Amino acid sequence: MNTRNDTETRENEGAVGVSIPQREGGEKLTGRAQYIADLYRHGMLYGAILQSPHAHARIRAYDLSEAKALPGVRAIVTGDDLDPQHRMGAFIKDEPALAKGKVRYCGEIVAAVAADTEAIARQATRLIQVDYEVLPAVLDPERAFDADAPLVHDDAHAYSAVFDSGTQGNICSRTSLREGDAASAWDGCDVVVEHTYRTQAQAHLSIEPCGALAEIDASGRVTLWSANQSVFRVQANVCEALGLSMAKLRCQTPHIGAGFGNKMEAHVQPAVVLLALKARKTVKLVLSREEDFETVRARHPAVVRMKTGAKSDGTLVARETELLLDGGAYGDDSPGVLGYALLMNCGPYNIPHVHAHGRVAYTNKLRFGAFRGFGVPQVTFASEQQLDALADKLEMDPIALRRKNIKRDGDRWFGGQAIHSNGLEKCLDLVEQASGWQTARAANGKAPASEMRRGMGVAVSAHISGLLATGAIVRLLEDGTVLLNTGAVDIGQGSNTVLSQMCAESLKLPVERVAIASPDTDGSPYNWGTTASRITYTTGRSVVAAAGEVEKQIKKLAGAMMECATEDLELRAGGTVGIRGVPGGGVSFAQVSGYAHWAAGGPIIGSNSWVFDQKTVDPKRAVVTGLPFSQIGIFSFIAQVIEVEVDTLTGKVRVPRAWTACDIGRAINPIMATGQIEGALVQGMGYALTEELVWDGGRLANPSLMDYKIPTFAEMPDEQHAYLVESDDPTGPFGAKSVGEIGINTVAAAISNAVTNAIGTRLSQLPLTCERVLAGVLAAGKTP
Amino acid sequence: MMSAKRQVTLTVNGSQSQVPAALHDTLLTVLRDQMQLTAAKRGCNQGVCGACTVVVDDRTVRACLSLAQNCEHASISTLEGLIEQAPMLALQRAFAHNGAFQCGFCTPGMLISANALLQQNPSPDAGAIRAALSGNLCRCTGYTKIVTAVQEAAAALHAKVVTP
Amino acid sequence: MLQGLYHPNTVDEAIALLAQDPQARPMAGGASLVAMLNAGVIEPAALVSLASIEEIKGISVMPDGRIRIGAFTRHRETAEYALPLGAAAAVRQAASLIANVTVRNMGTIGGAIAFADPGLDYPPALVASGAEVEIASPFARRVVPAREFFVDWYLTALEPGELVVAVVLPRPGEGAQGVYIKHARVAGDYATASVAACRLGDGSVSVAVGACGPIPIANDAANTLLSADRSGAAITEAGALLERQADPLDDVRGSAEYRRQLIPRLLLRAIRSLEATEGEKP
Repeated sequence: MNTRNDTETRENEGAVGVSIPQREGGEKLTGRAQYIADLYRHGMLYGAILQSPHAHARIRAYDLSEAKALPGVRAIVTGDDLDPQHRMGAFIKDEPALAKGKVRYCGEIVAAVAADTEAIARQATRLIQVDYEVLPAVLDPERAFDADAPLVHDDAHAYSAVFDSGTQGNICSRTSLREGDAASAWDGCDVVVEHTYRTQAQAHLSIEPCGALAEIDASGRVTLWSANQSVFRVQANVCEALGLSMAKLRCQTPHIGAGFGNKMEAHVQPAVVLLALKARKTVKLVLSREEDFETVRARHPAVVRMKTGAKSDGTLVARETELLLDGGAYGDDSPGVLGYALLMNCGPYNIPHVHAHGRVAYTNKLRFGAFRGFGVPQVTFASEQQLDALADKLEMDPIALRRKNIKRDGDRWFGGQAIHSNGLEKCLDLVEQASGWQTARAANGKAPASEMRRGMGVAVSAHISGLLATGAIVRLLEDGTVLLNTGAVDIGQGSNTVLSQMCAESLKLPVERVAIASPDTDGSPYNWGTTASRITYTTGRSVVAAAGEVEKQIKKLAGAMMECATEDLELRAGGTVGIRGVPGGGVSFAQVSGYAHWAAGGPIIGSNSWVFDQKTVDPKRAVVTGLPFSQIGIFSFIAQVIEVEVDTLTGKVRVPRAWTACDIGRAINPIMATGQIEGALVQGMGYALTEELVWDGGRLANPSLMDYKIPTFAEMPDEQHAYLVESDDPTGPFGAKSVGEIGINTVAAAISNAVTNAIGTRLSQLPLTCERVLAGVLAAGKTP
Repeated sequence: MMSAKRQVTLTVNGSQSQVPAALHDTLLTVLRDQMQLTAAKRGCNQGVCGACTVVVDDRTVRACLSLAQNCEHASISTLEGLIEQAPMLALQRAFAHNGAFQCGFCTPGMLISANALLQQNPSPDAGAIRAALSGNLCRCTGYTKIVTAVQEAAAALHAKVVTP
Repeated sequence: MLQGLYHPNTVDEAIALLAQDPQARPMAGGASLVAMLNAGVIEPAALVSLASIEEIKGISVMPDGRIRIGAFTRHRETAEYALPLGAAAAVRQAASLIANVTVRNMGTIGGAIAFADPGLDYPPALVASGAEVEIASPFARRVVPAREFFVDWYLTALEPGELVVAVVLPRPGEGAQGVYIKHARVAGDYATASVAACRLGDGSVSVAVGACGPIPIANDAANTLLSADRSGAAITEAGALLERQADPLDDVRGSAEYRRQLIPRLLLRAIRSLEATEGEKP
């Protein structure tokens, strides 16, 4: 097991383990990188959307006459252009391309216009008249299952779903996982804590808003560019929503201005393709910031009722979690978030008796979907506070309590899956030591009363990576260089660079000789998407395997060329193949490729295609209902200590220092790995302290950067440390696991634990706004 | 709101051109849609995110809050025009080596603001950098590596190790 | 539909243009105005840009020692003004906390106060320091004390067709100082609540609260009390007087109740901060 920071390199490194700069730097640092909004086509039309003003209403009729009469308007699409049978959805096929029959949330796309200029398109949307019959709306997920609650979907049970979702009424999905016998285990506990925690909707706030550009050729085939995290999900969603054959739609990828989950499933793409098909011309549509806030998706608000019991020596015995997720108007990724959150609800601890169950409620708000962490930040906010609450009652140090219970070698995860590499204890050691935990906490406790109170909190978590299908194609070009094609979208996190490093290392080539293709449904092998922290692990494995195929073919041909056995051959650095033990001689990749093209074998193409196959649930251990995934992936781990300073005059919390250690298996590109941890920390700080989508009735009250505030340079920690622990997973490519999401899982919990340490009151609602913290300060009587 | 377009004379990156612009068209719209200078980005159109930051008469401004018509007698610089100059080269190099960008969407505005800072304050400490860049939002990096990169660029310029 | 954009060279020309076309709006730095234009919140028929009027630019010391900030002075210039300001140091501090560097390069004091967003940083600082606002109308110039300039939500003493020409700060008194305490969620946000506290030339204390109602809150009894007594009890009492006048909003920055709680707490911080300046150069 190794620890490294991002400036160390190992000896004898090829490309893997080196902090090479991101490949796209040349484009991005000169302003030449083209994102969706930077694409222009001669003669293209501009699109604009009309949003629903109502949270819930039946659409009786449209009057498009005034809009159509506006000079420059070329096409208008509404729900009338859709076949009612066509719906999309990641798990439950409940969502039309745009509102049909009903509008289900304020901000939902009701119509879209294509016109000669964006200004004309937007003006035309204001001229569209829609006759609505306003319906009562259900806005509170806790009221969504009441007998008299308005139904968001009239016949939800009739939708087809990819798993046993239990969809009916306003229940979008339901899941239950059970191990041991929690119900009767409470009697065996010496201490029990029980509480309800509430978390808010967080907006992804990628600096790039969502957009798409659809071009249509003479045969009616569409090429769709969009800000996306998966060309294959775009393709599937658009085709399902429009009843289009997949052969008629090609999806491509410009540079992407981040996603965090917002761009994983559909946004405006179905509407834009519909417009292009109707207008028979290229259409580009980019959402305004307000539209992006209101129309697309956000993180699930959650109500987490949690109960944890332990023995007096700190051994955890039982856990019950009841999770209610506000799913918004459409299923989207909600069933996945629910299932995953419940699977992760215990955290990385051995708890023998667990009952974790929950539901996603349909409500008349925008859909809630994938957002970094995928439900884990919500349950971790609850779980890690319960650990601290237990530590309090037991008068144990919070880190000591965790050490007593964390999963170690040989332990299996909740549900029964084996863990093959586990660096969690090392992570905990690192942050405990680096933060000076014992000394700092003691000093905080003894500090004289003052306006500014410091506190320190800890949280640990895990993340599972490896979900769904992946492929890779590696081609040896005629000159001996290599083209890698995986379909994995680089949304800025650096997957192009990391995958190229792995390919180069596998073939002992300098990384400059590996090119990587842009994701394109025409040419790329299937890749589920850049989500769930999966690309390094799944696509990396595929890349290594595909490169292995190329190596085999190279050696076979080289063997023929050099008239020797393939077992005697070895790849050498720089793109040659030679006979082991015989220095010199050998043939170059270019020569082998020439031979392949002219003489025998054909062009050298290595490919791989796979799905993770280790089951998540052992039915002999756990009873599970409604879990959407049967196999997910491998485990990464995190331990984090955060120091806060609470201004007891105003309740404002700032973060002077933070220490984070992640077991990521192997750092393929260390500086990119710490970049993920650092970015997740600040995004997590926003989640913990200032970010909250607020509804005023059915409308969003703050769909604007003036009113919805994310951390700036001024809010970043004064000092933060990110440590990479490498436990070398036996199944990971070069031992790698994941780092994309795990860094956000613990932040709100660690900050909350730190605030409790500072002011004495525990807060159970996110975000910890100044107002809520001040209330906590006053409740504890800790005023200066 | 669709007033007719008129010809506006803009001096951008040292060269003057006539571009069509309606009265209400912002500098951002004109730079991007008329002049294909797409480095400046539209992240919010309200002046908060900073992705549209450009230089007008030696001041950093929000292109999304500037009317194109009001910029007729000004000297406008965008990232495209600054990339060959030593301070910007030093910043680009430092950003690349320090992982100070990920998706890159905020990066042009960030570079413009960092460049302006270094022209005013050749040796900024972390506090000065954070204050100068607080109007440029980044959602990817968590800011740490950007501060490191700006300090490294400042040091490189100070030692005159960067030549254009 | 925006049909005209004018660039007058003098205040009188600008006034004349506004008088001629009641649909026309004056535009200073443009930051707030163009944001509203972009969002479709306003649709003026014409704009009168004040950018070419030299008379209203820059900061100068008047013969009687008062300090004149031209209406078209950018926030950045005010924030970086290096000469002594006395009690009006609160105004400088307020300018330095507006948004961020780039927005401070664009926005102007005249444009800001004419817009009179209740969350703005200038109003409480101007009121507490005893500043005045110079206004030009078609017939005359007049001067209005800051305390009377802010009338209601987004409403000032400006009549239609009038322009702010300058903000005039009192002559910096011996030992005078001012501080501006801003509480906001993150850097660059509008204030959730703010307090400006000034020690005037005659040694008296003058405070004003911002972002807790349609206009800055000032209370003579509170000022009198604080001028004589700055104990915790006096500050609590003064805070209560100010809080009683407050009419804060419930919004995403905080509830009305929270803002009320903040008033005495921020006042405490402001007074202690002001006391720490005793003996400093103004």
